[in-house]
This record gives sequence, C-alpha cells and structure tokens, in this order.
Amino acid sequence: MARKQRVKGAEALLLSLLAEGTDTIFGYPGGQVIPVYDHLYDYRDRLHHILTRHEQGAVHAAQGYARATGRVGVCLATSGPGATNLVTGIADAMLDSTPLVCITGQVPSSLLGTDAFQEADTISMTMPISKWNFQVTKASEIPRAIAKAFYIARSGRPGPVVIDFTKDAQVEEVDFSYQPCLYLRSYHPKPDLDTEAITRAVEMINASERPLLLVGQGVKLSGAETALIELAEAASIPMGETLMGISAVPNDHPLFIGNLGMHGNLAANEMTQQSDLIIAVGMRFSDRVTGDVNTYAPKAEIIQIDIDAAELGKNLPVALPIHADAREALEALKRGIRHCERPQWMEVAVRKQAEEQREVIDPALDPSLEHITMCRALHALAEAEQGQAVIVTDVGQNQMFSARYSRFKETRSFITSGGLGTMGFGLPAAMGAKLGVPDKEVVAVLGDGGFQMSIQELGTIMQNKIGLKIIVLNNTYLGMVRQWQQLFWNRRYSFTELENPDFPAVARAYGIPAERVSDPNELNAAIERLVQAQGAYFLEIVVRPEENVFPMVPAGASLSNIICKE
Amino acid sequence: MVKEYIVIAFTENQIGVLNRITALYLRRKINIESLKVSESSIKGISMFVISAFTSSETIDKLVKQLRNIIDVIQVEYYTNEELITQEIALYKISTKLFRQNGATDRIVREWNARIIEINPSFVVVEKTGTREEIEQMRQEFERQQLLQEFTRSGTVVLHREPWVQALPNQIISQ
Ligand SMILES: Cc1ncc(C[n+]2csc(CCOP(=O)(O)OP(=O)(O)O)c2C)c(N)n1
Ligand SMILES: [Mg+2]
Repeated sequence: MARKQRVKGAEALLLSLLAEGTDTIFGYPGGQVIPVYDHLYDYRDRLHHILTRHEQGAVHAAQGYARATGRVGVCLATSGPGATNLVTGIADAMLDSTPLVCITGQVPSSLLGTDAFQEADTISMTMPISKWNFQVTKASEIPRAIAKAFYIARSGRPGPVVIDFTKDAQVEEVDFSYQPCLYLRSYHPKPDLDTEAITRAVEMINASERPLLLVGQGVKLSGAETALIELAEAASIPMGETLMGISAVPNDHPLFIGNLGMHGNLAANEMTQQSDLIIAVGMRFSDRVTGDVNTYAPKAEIIQIDIDAAELGKNLPVALPIHADAREALEALKRGIRHCERPQWMEVAVRKQAEEQREVIDPALDPSLEHITMCRALHALAEAEQGQAVIVTDVGQNQMFSARYSRFKETRSFITSGGLGTMGFGLPAAMGAKLGVPDKEVVAVLGDGGFQMSIQELGTIMQNKIGLKIIVLNNTYLGMVRQWQQLFWNRRYSFTELENPDFPAVARAYGIPAERVSDPNELNAAIERLVQAQGAYFLEIVVRPEENVFPMVPAGASLSNIICKE
Repeated sequence: MVKEYIVIAFTENQIGVLNRITALYLRRKINIESLKVSESSIKGISMFVISAFTSSETIDKLVKQLRNIIDVIQVEYYTNEELITQEIALYKISTKLFRQNGATDRIVREWNARIIEINPSFVVVEKTGTREEIEQMRQEFERQQLLQEFTRSGTVVLHREPWVQALPNQIISQ
C-alpha cells in the first residue's frame, strides 16, 4: 500500500475505501459528488455501488449491511439535500452503535459559508449525532481522514462517522499512499480489564441465589456470544435480551428466558423484579427496558459491563461498574465461577412462560378468530423459517410482534431500529442486510405505515435484483400509536387510520412477484410460497385492525405492573 | 444541589471540538457561565476551562460524555475550592470623572488594581482577582456612577494539590 500513485482526490477516496476492505457502497449522486461518481464508474468491478431511491434508503441500507455483517457500512450522498437526507440514519446509527462511514459532497471550499447552491453546514448538523466528523478540503487529507473514519467507526463502541468532501478537493491531484489508522492519542477504545472488579464480580455471582444476565447488543458487537453462554451455563444463570440484543442467544437455549422491557416477556420482567443480582452486558438500561427506574429490580445489586464508560451508571445506580469489552470481561468472569444448578430459580421462568402462553399467546392464536393476527403471522413465519432467517423489522407493532415471535439460531439475525425507532428503516435496512449476507434468507417485516415511508426502495430491489422477502402486515392503522390511543387516550383515533393502495399491485409494478392473504386458513401456504421463492417476493398479510401488543409495561410504569390485556 | 463546577479539558487543537463540547452542555440545557480556550503548555493541545452551575450527578455524567469526544484527551471537573482561580477585568472610566471624583484613587488602591492607560478621554483600570472581587470593585465604581465600560476574562485556573498533573504523562513525553 505504501507505493505512491498520482491520482485525484475523488479516486484517492475510492482507493482508501478499497484499502479498508469496502466492497459495497450505498449512494445517490448529485452535483457536488459527480467527480467521485465519475471515478466510481471505473471501479465498478471492485466497488459495488447500489443506487437507492432516496438518501435515507442509502444510509439505512448501509446500517443493515453493517448490522448483518459486523463490517463498516458505507454510504455516499451529495451536498445540501443529499446530506440532510442522511441525517435520520446517522442519528439512528449513533443511538444503535452501528459502524458507518458516511461521505457527503460539499461545495468548493472557496464557496463555504456563502450560501452557495446546495450548501448545507453538514459538519454542524451531524456533530451531535456522529461519533466523529471531518471536512476534507484538500485531496492530501483524504487517506488519513478515511483511515481515521474507519478506525473510529468500528472500534470501541461503534458509531457513525461523517466525512464532508469539498468538490475542489475531489478534483485536486495528490500522491496517494495509504496507511491504516491504529492509534490516536486522544482516543482509547479498548479499556484495560480491571481484574479486581472481575474478582469482585465473581464473588458476587458465586454468592447470588437468583442471578440474571441482561444481554444487550454489546454482546454481538464484541463477539461475546460464546463467552456469554459459557458463563450462563457454568452458573445456570438465566439470560434475557434487550430489543437490540435479540438473536445473541439462540431462542431454544434452556437458560434463555425471553425479552426484557416494555413489550418483553413476563418471565424476563418478573425475574428482573425477583433477581438478587443483575449482570448487565453491553446494554444501557434504556427507559424502554427499565420502566420506572425507582421500582426497577428492587432486590438486585447490579453489575454493569460496558465498553462505553459514559453508560456505566448513567440511567440507574450500579453496584459494580466494569468498564470493559464484553467478551474480555465475560471470558475472565467465567474462569472463577462456581458451578451450580438453580432449579427453583428457573421454575419462575417456566411458570411465567405458561402464564404468558395462556393469557397472551393462545388467545391470539385462536383458530376461530375471523382475522389473521400479527401474532399468528409471525408465528407462522418462525415455523417456516426454522430460526434460519435474518429478520429485519420496521417500527411499531410489526416490530414488537417480530421481536416476540421470531426464532433465532444465529447471532446478528435480528435487525431493528431500537434507540431512535425510525419508521422507514425496515425495507432499506433489509436490502443492505441481504447484500451483506447474500447466502442467508432475509425477511423484511413491515407495517403498512412504515413501508410507505420507504416504498420507493422497491425500485432499488428491482434494479439490483435483491432477493429479499418482504412482508407487509396491513392493519390499516399506524397500529402502535393507535394502541396507545386506545389504551391511554380514550380510544380517540386521531389521524392514525390509513387508506392504503393495492400493495401487491405496487410491488408487481416493480417486477416483484406479490400476493395478498387475508384468510387465516391460507396463511401458512402463502408464507410457504414466500419462503420457497427464488429471488424477491412480496406478501401482504391483512391482519386484524385493532390487535394490541401484549404484554405491555405502560410508559413510566413499574415492570411489576405489566399488563396482559386491554 | 446545584453549584458551580469548573471543567478543565485538554483537547487536540482541532476545528469543531469547541462545538462538540458546548453541544453536550446545550443538550442538557446547562448554561455556560464562562468559557476560556487557549493553547496549553504543550503545542497543539488546547486547554478549555468551562464553568457552569449544575448538580454533582449531572456534571459527573456530562464529563463522562465529554471524554467520549474523539479529540478530547483529558477532562476533569472541580469545585471552586479545589482550584486557584483568577480572572482579569478592565474598567473604563472617563478621564474627566476620574479626576473629579476623589474616590477613584482610593478604589484603585484598595482593590489592588492598576491603571494601564490614561488618555484625554478615558482611563483604563485593570484588576486581577477572584470573580467576587472583580464584581465588588465594579459595584463600587457603579455606585459612584463612574463606569463607562467593563469587561471580564474567563477564568484561569491552577489546581491546589501540588501533585496534580495537568496533562497525562504519555502526552508530555511525546
Ligand atoms: C419516522 C417516524 N415517525 C413517527 C413515528 C411514531 N410511530 C411509532 S410506531 C408508529 C405507527 C407505525 O405504523 P405502521 O407502520 O403501520 O406499523 P404498525 O404499528 O401498524 O405495525 C408511529 C407513527 C416513528 N416511530 N417514526
Ligand atoms: Mg399498521
């Protein structure tokens, strides 16, 4: 890589991306990135560029790609409106710790600050929602900026980085050579493991009677799945997952007790309230997990393991904070653990699972129901996919039902917008995921509302022949908001009802085979056709309009006050 | 309990760091009382001194978030008692009033201030001291209706403990 080459800044960018191992770029051209696109034309064999139908689609696709593969997602947009269209995805990636490098064109440096055509202050706008950002105004800055961008995006707690690239720098010539970034004196992404803290944690775990592991996305990000399961098995510690942690542990693991928080499982929430020791790994005690913090886990001491020191004790007091990479910490913990069985403690899970089955699941699967329920649809999908598919969701009830009823055998198989809760995320993120892991089955599960926030990406799927399976759960409502209106706002359905187009006809117009199913008796066969389809397939499932997601911890309520029905 | 906390940060001298730092205060709606940025004793490293009123819990969380800014090398926070803090203030008074009013000489002497410029239209008095001293002297001038203009620097600080190292070793040795 040290060999020098005389190139333009735009080409230096592409060479830098290649040096970082980039194979796919999601993007959209415009006046201030034409030089980059011009060079991209010559690199088509090495850099696979996916032209989305909206820059928001590009950034969400890059997120889906990153989340499915663990590699850095790359997206490219022009200045001004191109850059502003990326903003939602950058904010989403920041909250969900997704490694991204977002490259935006910018007006020539001589025009900066003059309100030139399509000038937007991208650096200022993305400052609070990016892990790092930098404006390149000289071609010679490109290799170092890209090297830093990748290093920062993927190390420590991953996150999005923005590189704003002025047009004059894109066409300026430079002697190119590339050096990856391995160290910055102001940034220390890998904390030293505090062995004393580990020793204390081991003692606490060995002394605990009702320990509980809370599994967050940090487990996936650090590749700690095996270490986690070994620790859990060594001391028979049940494991619950946050929304972002889903799929870190196979669902059929005997110590897996389900999901935590607002629409989590009864067992996971009840055991949080009964536990005497919570070991939180790579999760941040978001309000969606804790409900009312004052009544959260009243009997438990908390050990919190996080690579981001700012998360330790941020949302609630923690008895033992451990600033560490999850995998390193779990591997160290596991060594001191005394083996034990906890049949009584696991009894709570069995009892609560039976209660949930009886109170929540069985009624929603009742064969005499006139409509297909979302519960039944996701159940049927899980049966058909046998835990092998990557499920990418949108936001709302479709997301929560997917989180509750999907089954996973492999890590990184559940991709959803957790922290920001971005409607419109699902379809483009699923495209990116499918391009990242083409040999896996990828299914997008979307609501009728959220689908229409990114519906134009059907064009991207058509043009690039992306073999993505798409399910739209059509309840003719912005269902999750309607649920809140029903439960907490006196059933006043203010502007949450949707009049929808003929979705399969829309999909077919984009050349995607499509069908609609509304009869519960035909559901399984329709899902089977979706699973068996070679290439893209679209299935609209007409579901019960007023179904609610249960169990539910109302916002701000105690986990102990979880409700199972209206 | 809300009180004044002084954050001292050492950062790379990079464009944008100031914005990133102040944005974290803004996000929590904490008003910055005073802010001083200057080159530290090491070339290429800036020193920020930021004072703001908030709670100990909030400042602790805020400082952890400040540490996450990529170009921030080191951040700590202190209360006033832990630091030797000084500010400089300049007071502008019309030369005519300055001469006519007998109190001016006394005020300058009593407050350990000094005159740094005299010209036909105004006199500039300089005072170094704590914010309280500077404020009290300003009030005295105002009571005498002398003050035309007044300006104060941000705080310059040193830690009281003899062993506190302002910058981490690894940076100093570079
Ligand atoms: C961009 C955006 N706007 C608004 C919301 C608020 N919101 C959360 S869920 C939801 C309803 C989603 O409706 P739909 O996509 O049909 O999914 P459903 O809940 O019906 O499954 C809305 C409007 C959001 N999360 N994101
Ligand atoms: Mg809907």
